[in-house]
Amino acid sequence: MSAVNRKDSLNQFIQQIYGRPVVVKLNSGVDYRGVLACLDGYMNIALEQTEEYENGQLQNKYGDAFIRGNNVLYISTVKRRT
Amino acid sequence: MADDSDQVPAVSVKEPLDLVRLSLDERILVKMRNGRRLRGRLHAFDQHLNMILGDVEETVTIVEIDEETYEEIYKEKKRHVPMLFVRGDGVILVSPPGRVGI
Repeated sequence: MSAVNRKDSLNQFIQQIYGRPVVVKLNSGVDYRGVLACLDGYMNIALEQTEEYENGQLQNKYGDAFIRGNNVLYISTVKRRT
Repeated sequence: MADDSDQVPAVSVKEPLDLVRLSLDERILVKMRNGRRLRGRLHAFDQHLNMILGDVEETVTIVEIDEETYEEIYKEKKRHVPMLFVRGDGVILVSPPGRVGI
């Protein structure tokens, strides 16, 4: 009963954050900030205009970056204020 | 990958792996565990991100800490491999190279 609701709300969350700027943190502690292009059930992620942060700013990746899901600790939305 | 659209197109949801397929036969950058980076031409891949890469340059970056001065020394080792099979579980990130600035 409640399990079905949780599945729907997860799908809703994923639908909502498509196209938004997100932060993806990996198990290794590295941070990726970019626009969420897509996401699948394994937490594989495709990001656009990605920036990689490790301690300080490491690299800038433009275009698409695909992150293998097993490395992902979390995905979070972020309000970009620059 | 030639599209330069700023907005997200209103198409049906695709998988991230579908977008990797767009990079087939193109040069890509692969970031792997243990500080390894590969640059090569993507010939094939699967859902585990096992990959066949051709004309590959591997860069291994090691950080050594000097025991006396405690400073971090970055060392890079490169090697070139004509054809390489990459096991997917070591892969962290895949990206088309080009506009990568350090």
